[in-house]
Amino acid sequence: MNFIRSAAAELIGLFVADWVQTAVIVAILAAGWYAIAGLHASPIPVLVALVVLLAGQMVWFTFSEARRSEKAA
Amino acid sequence: MYQQLFTFGAAFLGSAVESTEALTIVLAVGLTRGWRSPLYGTFAALVALAVLVLVFGQLIVQRVPESTLKLIIGTLLLLFGLRWLHKAVLRSAGIVALHDEESAYQKTVSELQGSVTRQDWVGFVIAFKGVFLEGIEVVFIVVAVGGTSKYFPEAVAGGLLAMALVAAAGVVVRKPLARVPENTLKYAVGIILTSLGTFWAAEGMGASWPLDFVSIFFLAAAYFGTSQLAVMLSRRRTFA
Repeated sequence: MNFIRSAAAELIGLFVADWVQTAVIVAILAAGWYAIAGLHASPIPVLVALVVLLAGQMVWFTFSEARRSEKAA
Repeated sequence: MYQQLFTFGAAFLGSAVESTEALTIVLAVGLTRGWRSPLYGTFAALVALAVLVLVFGQLIVQRVPESTLKLIIGTLLLLFGLRWLHKAVLRSAGIVALHDEESAYQKTVSELQGSVTRQDWVGFVIAFKGVFLEGIEVVFIVVAVGGTSKYFPEAVAGGLLAMALVAAAGVVVRKPLARVPENTLKYAVGIILTSLGTFWAAEGMGASWPLDFVSIFFLAAAYFGTSQLAVMLSRRRTFA
């Protein structure tokens, strides 16, 4: 039972380190999907926006964690 | 051709990192409590992982429509890659300690000291758990990279070769592979998987990338540049 629990935790941990960050990434992808498949927007600007937002959230969440660890120290 | 090489390389590098971590656990158990039980545990875990690759690999390649597959696997790969990249950036900025195989080895050894019976279940379970849990990441990388790109055999070959090379190095050296530049590898694999995830997720949405597969290299350059910016900002923040 203990092993199954740690395997499940490990499996979720493969994709999720921070639930807020995961929600932001999924929201960015959902917006991209809606723009392309729902609104039939021109793909190039959507792709550029997608990459900029994904890269931007990475910088933001890393910076936030650095700031949190600085405060904790 | 380039796509095949890229698929092979991504599976190889990702699997090499995880295999190194699994090897540390098996070595710690084997050198502390004897080799029989940990080797059985390792073998059992490898069989379980092979079944997972075969079942999920076949299921994914044959049953799921291509666009759905690309969207789902692309999203998962993106989450997986960004998690590695996030950790690699924090390590490069000095906020999180670098992963050290030597200290991981010593920690496992100190937990394993004690009397050993003939049928050593502790050795079996720890080796099984270590190899299986680290191996799940290898399975995900191989299935995701191979299943989505339609180069499943190349991905499996990359994963198997990495595992074989790490195992052979472990047999020769008989101590943790502390010299493997694990943190640099994780950074590189994080960038590759994030780029592949972005590429496939967008294709799953119905978009076509300019220059097709070549755009992955531009994505990798963009993510590398941004991650370096993140390292710089986090470092400044910490040492200011």
